[in-house]
Amino acid sequence: MTFHASVRFLIGALCVVGLSAANGQFPEQPIEFVIPFAAGGGADIEGRTLAEEMSAHLGVPVVPVNRAGAGGAVAYTHVNNAPPDGYTVVWNSNSILTVTNLGNVSFGYDSLDHVGRVEYQPMVFAVSSRSDWTDFGEFLADCQANPNRYKVANSGTGSATHLGALALMTAAGCEVIHLPIGIQRRNSTVLSGEADAMMAPLTGAINLARANRFRLLLTLSTERNPVIPDVPFAAESGIPVDFDVFRGLSVPGGTPPEIMNTLATAMTRAAQSEAFTSLASEVGFTVAPLGVEAFKELLASEDDKVAAIVRDAGLNEE
Amino acid sequence: MSGDVLQGFLQAVQPSSLVATAIGSMLGIATGMIPGMTISTGIIIVLPLTFVLDPNVSIALLLGLYVGGMMGGSFSAILLNIPGTPSAAATALDGHPLVVRGEAGRALGVAIVASFLGGLFSFLCLFLIAPNLADLALGFRAPDLFSLVFLGLTIICSFAAKSLIKGLLSALIGLAIVSVGQDPVMGSARFTFGDPNLLSGIQFLTALIGLFAVPELIRNVDLKTVGAATNAAAMKLRGILPSLADLRRIRLPVGIGSVIGTFLGILPGAGGPIAAFISYDYAQKATKRSDEFGNGAIEGIAAPESANNAVTGGALVPMMTLGIPGDPVTAILIGALLVHGLAPGPLLFIERADFAYGLIFSFFWANIFNLIIAFSGLRLLVKLIAMPKTILMPAIAVLCVVGSFALRNSIFDVYVMFAFGLLGIAMKWFEIPVVPLLLALVLGRPLEEHLRIALTGSQGDVSVFFTSPFSVLFLSLAAFSVGWTVLSSRRSGSAVAKQNTRS
Repeated sequence: MTFHASVRFLIGALCVVGLSAANGQFPEQPIEFVIPFAAGGGADIEGRTLAEEMSAHLGVPVVPVNRAGAGGAVAYTHVNNAPPDGYTVVWNSNSILTVTNLGNVSFGYDSLDHVGRVEYQPMVFAVSSRSDWTDFGEFLADCQANPNRYKVANSGTGSATHLGALALMTAAGCEVIHLPIGIQRRNSTVLSGEADAMMAPLTGAINLARANRFRLLLTLSTERNPVIPDVPFAAESGIPVDFDVFRGLSVPGGTPPEIMNTLATAMTRAAQSEAFTSLASEVGFTVAPLGVEAFKELLASEDDKVAAIVRDAGLNEE
Repeated sequence: MSGDVLQGFLQAVQPSSLVATAIGSMLGIATGMIPGMTISTGIIIVLPLTFVLDPNVSIALLLGLYVGGMMGGSFSAILLNIPGTPSAAATALDGHPLVVRGEAGRALGVAIVASFLGGLFSFLCLFLIAPNLADLALGFRAPDLFSLVFLGLTIICSFAAKSLIKGLLSALIGLAIVSVGQDPVMGSARFTFGDPNLLSGIQFLTALIGLFAVPELIRNVDLKTVGAATNAAAMKLRGILPSLADLRRIRLPVGIGSVIGTFLGILPGAGGPIAAFISYDYAQKATKRSDEFGNGAIEGIAAPESANNAVTGGALVPMMTLGIPGDPVTAILIGALLVHGLAPGPLLFIERADFAYGLIFSFFWANIFNLIIAFSGLRLLVKLIAMPKTILMPAIAVLCVVGSFALRNSIFDVYVMFAFGLLGIAMKWFEIPVVPLLLALVLGRPLEEHLRIALTGSQGDVSVFFTSPFSVLFLSLAAFSVGWTVLSSRRSGSAVAKQNTRS
């Protein structure tokens, strides 16, 4: 670079900086994209892909940061305490409702502002392909004949999978032993027969189901999923449960509406990008962006459900 | 089948894959050496890069980083007495005393060779008998895992040889610290004082940095003593390639470490640090020089080093055959492959067998490159500790702070690290061994978790621990472990008494 060129570059750069400072247009610095779970899991992969696409639309780096721990409590606390300037966003999920209802954080889910939903995926009830159960009705009959005998694994006490399993068993009227085995060993306990069944997000079970090691008996959705069109949903079997895993974006409470709008636009575009939609069809989630208002309604109704399950099962700290 | 093996091999020897493996290995060694930079952190940093690379090239890069990181962690454990990764904590016990004695080259040479052999053994297992191993590992249920972790806990006896009371005290402190945070089964908060930072408990690596590095920094303030030791260390660098006599001495420990490491790598939730400590303990029992352990026995480096590198191949077994991660790093690897539309698991060998074998061979090359790069970079490494203390020590202090911050991007963890530093200094003052505390920190959570899951599953029936053959085996080994310590301390009771008066 010659001297002239570098001077010109410098002046140009200064102008850009000056202009954007004068306009104060969001965003003008990197955005921290908080992922409440550890690297490598479903939430992480999906979040990273979305962040990458968002930074293409916003023109600033959107940096994924894993703040794992305590089922999301660590991440949501961090974001709740961050300045409401749009530079800290969190990749939320049902976990924002579970940690608040379990009393693991001192604030409610509405202490944060919510930009919108990006996607959802069904929760599935899976058994080993070596088991005798070929549909949920058979499991139910065995379960009702032998209360407190069958073990259903989930990703941890208070996790969405635990609440889903509780809701399903309550609605179906059968008593099982819930094993809060954790994400790492959840699948292997079903393969080995240590647990008789499990509740998992579709993305966590799809690969072993495709390989014929798991049999998916039921989803907790309200419609059939295109990735697993043969698996019935709960209401089809006459069980009134509806509990999907959703993911979306939240920001600290009090974030200005213009900033929320900019983020929401970038979020929606990133959700509809080629990279994100192809990941969706690969691992089995449904891209369905919802705006601020629609997401607010969804959160409110989901919060009622979670609160009811937590109350019925006596999981609350207080 | 054999065509796929050949294609996989060819994929792994493509120049682009080989270069990626070599770069990964270099990055891994660097990442592993920096305290607080875990292998997972390193992999997350290069992850976006792999999205644009070919899947077989990017997996070669990541595997190189994985294998290199295991070795790098041991370098800082040996040279600085600060384990770069949790798996390297056991290596410091004998590695650093050798450096102080001026045999840095020998210690590193043994570590490199042992790591390589451990990695090679686990590669062979992965390549030849992975499906059988995965089925065996699936037979391990919560009661068996509890007994295995319980066996690990009895090792505390071996590290408390000087004073059993002080060793047990140290372990109790560790177990008390582990109980901070959400309990692993019900999720209720314990000893968190309402602070969400404590909900997920004390991070092992944060504690490790504080316990090892801070007392070391304080000790180094006394420049005179340290200057002498490192000058000698730098001078005696010549013998990096281990002598034949050394190689013969580490045969048995490497064998023990490789088998234990591979096997514990396969079990989800056991992991590197436990494998390293158990191998160290068994090597100590199996060799004639058990009294040299802790004072710079090369067997004490070889066993944990071969074990922690064998863990890498072991952890790949459930990942490749079932799509279930064996440790946090393989969890991230699964994520990285998913982005490329490749799902590790039983289907991978059916649908993309060439890629699956390519991955296995890349793991082989990662071990080879690791050996070459480590040996060629060794001189540079040892120069590091010959650096003036006035530069080196502040640099380490900065690394400790950055490292404990970077783990969870949390300034709270930095305070925790310093608190553990104070604890480390106090324990040194009272001559309480640190290792039992570390073991308790590693083992406490899985111990409680598997116990409670096992009892939840059996609805409170304790007999599950005595009906499963694996569980019975581990419990009897645990009894043997305690019995051995009691017996050998009685036999050499007078010798120990003499040692006590001397120290």
